[in-house]
Amino acid sequence: MAPSMESTTGFKFDNVRRNQLLGDKGYKVPTATKTGTTIVGLIFRDGVILGADTRATAGPIVADKNCEKIHYLAPNMYCCGAGTAADTEFTTNMISSQLALHSLSTGREARVVTAMTMLKQYLFKYQGHIGAALVLGGYDVGGPHLFTIYPHGSTDKLPYVTMGSGSLAAMSVFESRWRQGMSREEGIELVKDAIEAGIFNDMGSGSNVDVCVITKGNTEYLRNYARPNERVEKEQSYKFPAGTTEFIVPRPAGVAAGEESTAMDTSA
Amino acid sequence: MDAYSFSLTTFAPNGKLLQIEHALAAVSNGSTSVGIKAANGVVIATEKKAGSSLIEVSTLEYVVKVCDTIGMVYSGMGPDFRVLVNAARKSAQKYRRIYMEDPPVRILVKELASIMQEFTQSGGVRPFGVSLLLAGVDERGPSLYQVDPSGSYFPWKATAIGKNMINAKTFLEKRFNGDMELEDAVHTAILTLKEGFEGQMTETSIDVGIIGGLGVEGGAKPTFQCLSPAEIKDYLSNIV
Amino acid sequence: MSIMEYNGSAVVAMVGKNCVAIAADKRLGQRALTVDMNFQKVFPITDRTAEERIIEPKTFSNLVSHMLYERRFGPYFVEPVIAGLDKDNKPFVGTASDNLFGMCESLWEPDLEPEELFETISQALLNAVDRDAMSGWGAVVHVITKDGVITRDLKGRMD
Repeated sequence: MAPSMESTTGFKFDNVRRNQLLGDKGYKVPTATKTGTTIVGLIFRDGVILGADTRATAGPIVADKNCEKIHYLAPNMYCCGAGTAADTEFTTNMISSQLALHSLSTGREARVVTAMTMLKQYLFKYQGHIGAALVLGGYDVGGPHLFTIYPHGSTDKLPYVTMGSGSLAAMSVFESRWRQGMSREEGIELVKDAIEAGIFNDMGSGSNVDVCVITKGNTEYLRNYARPNERVEKEQSYKFPAGTTEFIVPRPAGVAAGEESTAMDTSA
Repeated sequence: MDAYSFSLTTFAPNGKLLQIEHALAAVSNGSTSVGIKAANGVVIATEKKAGSSLIEVSTLEYVVKVCDTIGMVYSGMGPDFRVLVNAARKSAQKYRRIYMEDPPVRILVKELASIMQEFTQSGGVRPFGVSLLLAGVDERGPSLYQVDPSGSYFPWKATAIGKNMINAKTFLEKRFNGDMELEDAVHTAILTLKEGFEGQMTETSIDVGIIGGLGVEGGAKPTFQCLSPAEIKDYLSNIV
Repeated sequence: MSIMEYNGSAVVAMVGKNCVAIAADKRLGQRALTVDMNFQKVFPITDRTAEERIIEPKTFSNLVSHMLYERRFGPYFVEPVIAGLDKDNKPFVGTASDNLFGMCESLWEPDLEPEELFETISQALLNAVDRDAMSGWGAVVHVITKDGVITRDLKGRMD
């Protein structure tokens, strides 16, 4: 496949009618993976700290035990995502791309409000169908900024925020302990505790704590800052001795898979 | 007036498209640009020509960044270049949105070349009055490309475009060797521009862009950067 | 019934030490009716021995992900699994998905050698599909190492 640069903007709707038909016939149509999540952000003395858990769920199943929910937007800006995993991922990527073009053409670092406005306008345009609930934090010429953005496009600007299914647990920690002018260490600790409140008290959140500290001219991404749910060593090895699995004929290396099996019609 | 220079898309009997020849003439009237591929990176540089001493030279952009791993410079018409810069940056972002990585230099060059080619056979447009030099690094290492108004493109070890290109290329042929490090290449590029430079060369009268190679052990991803006047001054002070 | 269970299948991939394995069962169904007992579900994208520029697994999965997201509001009913050498990829899906998650969680461990990885992925897949009525009828396993691809057809329950 030749790397192509053909038009890639916008969504395609060519499967919609087919899927509608299948849905009407009684086939359950799958829904996108939603991440029960705890994401938070706070403003401290020198900047902004973002935090997130690392559990991705597909219904009751844990789909990923260590996913990344703090997305890169620009060198001075990151964004935590809750809601539909694919939506948060692609929305932040797309905005990141636009911010890159913006700062190349202006020759400046983009402002956080710019990103916030682009995100809310995009989400509002899709009337909530793009299920991205975001915590946006960054540092620009105007200092530290922290926003929450809801899937329908509304936004808040607050000194400490939480989002996702674990937001209540996390907010209880912030409400009791956040104060003006916290130090970097105090801030990170509070973010960690807020995320852990989500990890331990909300079923949709789990595993590890990711932290991102953004200050003037510096961003530190602390992936897996805390790992409060380390898997215990298996007491026994479940390795199978060679020869356990019966197989038919070993094919010589290089012979294409399933040459003698029924080939799917892959012609377009 | 030649009958065949009127319509862009009409071949002259000798098989030439005269508008493209004219575009190349616009390029060879433009200020000289050079590019050198070193063992561990690439440098591109150009003369910054201000028509008057009253112009605020610090705001002029000649060498530009396209994406983290690619930069470019031109000889010819500035306004046409800006159109191509926008197209190149958008194209690089489009690639990134699909593959989550910067485009290989060759892919971006092809994309730009095809835009420039399209402007040689579309109605209501004229060819771009610029030749480009693109410097970049990808998984295959550093590379340097030239793209012409016709849409043809060439990979180079070292080359020059614009007014003084013939002399500059002769100079480069003598000076270039494949083991050259990026530092040496920057010096050589500046020296090449100095050949046939009108007036005094200063840190504000040239523009230089560099990108390091992948060679560094465990090093960070190479990024294209335009040198600041202070950095250019350092290089100039080493040149006697 | 979910549309994702229409054809029925079990696909799994695992990372080992300098190797990856990808495996699938062979059944193709239309709901409870078995249509094919030897259906190909694993497709080669690049051959590691090929010269020229070949796409990295990570880059390829970004591409596939982009293609799927384009249909965000009218999706394809597929859950592709991508395995390749040079980057870590460890996803697994299919109708036997829940079973597979459980099997992989207990059987997989880091740094398995190619032959060990073959046994682990085979046992994970066979035991998972044995508890799924909609997949099975044997399976095929590919272990990708830097020296080439080992492909083996597994003997499984034919019910």
